[in-house]
Amino acid sequence: MKTPIAWRNLTHNKRKLAVAIAGVAFAVVLMFQQTGFENALFDSTVEVVKQTRCDLLLLNPARFSLSSELRFNRNHLQLAAGVEGIKSAHPLFIDNTVALFHAKEPTNPPKPRPIRVLGVDPKKALFHSVEITAQMPKLEEPDTALIDRLSKPEFGFSFQDRQLVGNTQGSLLGHPLEMVGTFKMGRDFAHEGNLIVSQKNFSKYFQYRGADPLAVVDLGLIQLDDPGESDLVLRRLGDLMPEGVTVVTKEDFIQREVGFWSASTPIGIIFKIGTVMGFLVGTIICYQILATDISDHLSELATLKAMGYGTAYFRRLVITESLILSGLGFVPGLLLSLVVFEINAQATGLIMAMTVPRAMFILLLTILMCLISGWFAMKKLISADPASLF
Amino acid sequence: MLADSKTIDELLKNWDPEPDSLRIQVTDLQHSYGSGDAEKQVLFNNHLSIPAGEIVIMTGPSGSGKTTLLTLIGTLRSVQQGSLKIMGQELNGLSAAKIVNLRQEIGFIFQAHNLFESLTAYQNVRMSTELLSKNEKESGPEIKAILKRLGLGERIHYKPKNLSGGQKQRVAIARGLINRPKLILADEPTAALDAESGREVVTMFQELASQTGCTILIVTHDNRILDVADRIVNMVDGRISSNVMVQRSSTLCSIIRGFPAFSELTASNLTAVADSLQLRRFTKGESIIKQGEVGREFYVIAQGSVDILIDGKPVNRLEAGDYFGEVALIKDQPRNATVTATESTACFMLSKVDFQSIVDASPPFEDEVRRAIFDRQ
Repeated sequence: MKTPIAWRNLTHNKRKLAVAIAGVAFAVVLMFQQTGFENALFDSTVEVVKQTRCDLLLLNPARFSLSSELRFNRNHLQLAAGVEGIKSAHPLFIDNTVALFHAKEPTNPPKPRPIRVLGVDPKKALFHSVEITAQMPKLEEPDTALIDRLSKPEFGFSFQDRQLVGNTQGSLLGHPLEMVGTFKMGRDFAHEGNLIVSQKNFSKYFQYRGADPLAVVDLGLIQLDDPGESDLVLRRLGDLMPEGVTVVTKEDFIQREVGFWSASTPIGIIFKIGTVMGFLVGTIICYQILATDISDHLSELATLKAMGYGTAYFRRLVITESLILSGLGFVPGLLLSLVVFEINAQATGLIMAMTVPRAMFILLLTILMCLISGWFAMKKLISADPASLF
Repeated sequence: MLADSKTIDELLKNWDPEPDSLRIQVTDLQHSYGSGDAEKQVLFNNHLSIPAGEIVIMTGPSGSGKTTLLTLIGTLRSVQQGSLKIMGQELNGLSAAKIVNLRQEIGFIFQAHNLFESLTAYQNVRMSTELLSKNEKESGPEIKAILKRLGLGERIHYKPKNLSGGQKQRVAIARGLINRPKLILADEPTAALDAESGREVVTMFQELASQTGCTILIVTHDNRILDVADRIVNMVDGRISSNVMVQRSSTLCSIIRGFPAFSELTASNLTAVADSLQLRRFTKGESIIKQGEVGREFYVIAQGSVDILIDGKPVNRLEAGDYFGEVALIKDQPRNATVTATESTACFMLSKVDFQSIVDASPPFEDEVRRAIFDRQ
């Protein structure tokens, strides 16, 4: 085995090593933070759909995003329910903008804020969450709701104590509403919190939707007999459905929603720029570390040149140092990011998910970052002149 | 009368090395730094030929160009003008890849030790053996042996931080010597060493030179090691001002002191004569000087014998240690006899021009020679 000079040089001075690792880890955290927020934007936005039990969704074709309140006629849903291969078709009513909600306290009530209200048939198990399904019967009572524990604290609820939340009075659109339980869904960039109510209660609160508030549906949740046949049923349903309603698979819907936020809103681009900034900062830090390491050993490296070590050897040396640096910086950066994600999630109610592919992506960026700075630092090394040693 | 014939044999054999055995061959080498108006020439018309196995000490004031010459020989600078061959390879216009390969045959010892602080003494030396992709089984014992030899046996696995200045320098020397290079270039290698380790280092130099035939070029001001030099090259203002083969010169001195013509010369004049002597070889029957020609050379027979002929008739036979043609040094008279080699003969020749330059440098010399040559006639 050859003398591991790259490793030795990087790790020789422990203080410098610690600074170097901290520098790279900082850049890693920065990139994780930015991509984390970007992903949180997407994850949180589609969380409500992910939590529902459905294979296909019916919606108004003009509904460009979940938060745009464009609806379709409920009759279309009943039409769909009869199609072969469809097990069930249930409406999901969503209302947001005018749903002013706050905790009702005897003195000094907080300012009402908009909250997203989901109206469902409490007899149907429309959510994956066992917690929600178990509490559905409670919603049969008039003026009752389940509240998302991740809703903004500004609504005036102390979500830490489920028991307490469960017995707090609230006020929705000026009418009293009793919290009978909690669930977990999460906020996103457009919604500060969530309530689940029965569709009967929903129609009572949102009378402005028309004579029959339940006549227009936000999303139609369709479950299939055989989820494997979704393409087939999708086509069958697509042929049948009139204008004014469209059908998509759950996956497509999620992708469309993510695509909207990522491409059509500045928010997605802002976080991408943030990631690039993290990358650039990391590249500069990394270059500084590698260039300093090379300057510190310039006469020794020039001696190696005089001894007959060629350019290829020095390329390998710098690449090895870059890879070691990215590895050493990534691990603490990842661990620190997990902590930061947790803090973010608690502070914002956003879903900060660290998945293996996302971590791999940042690892790749980290390696790339170190290699690019290595490439620049290499120029310094190549210019080391052994003739200056005499 | 003469030094033992074996010494003379040796001397004659190595007098003119074959061009193939030259490790360094510098021909009309020029070098400048900067360009345009700022261009400053630092080497002028330098010539130097050094055969294998020679230890050369290079001296000269700082700024005289010796370091530039050393880096040019070491392939660390590109040759601009003139020819520079090392190990028979022309460096002028050589590709970068070939230069890298050539460097592996050169051992560098720099004034600063340039050791990696992160590596032990052993690992620093190993950086050198790894170049030749030797495995550690093979190189490990060699590295330990050389470090032990240099008095670092107890500190093989110490890092430079825990070594003294002299010890670090010895590790650097071990790194330069471990691959038994054909050419060693050293810049003040003993400056940081005490007398004892300095001596050990130059003894190793001598062993390497005689055992492996490696050529060693040392830039130094350390008088303590001048005795190991086969040749001392002095540079002044970008030119080689003197190139003295001290070893040969001292052998020659002891030989020519035995010659009656030079026995009474002072040491400095003897050296001057020895340095000016040229070797001439003649085959059997070849005429060395001819009667009637104007003579400009003085000869001493080193080996063989000659016949003196006046008007075609042999009048005398001269053998090794005898001399002839001495009148030419003092007077511009035509030769009064013909001299012909009777066998394969070698003569040391002193030309009138060289003689005159020694005379110019030391006027009493002429008297010494006149007395020496003519008192005995």
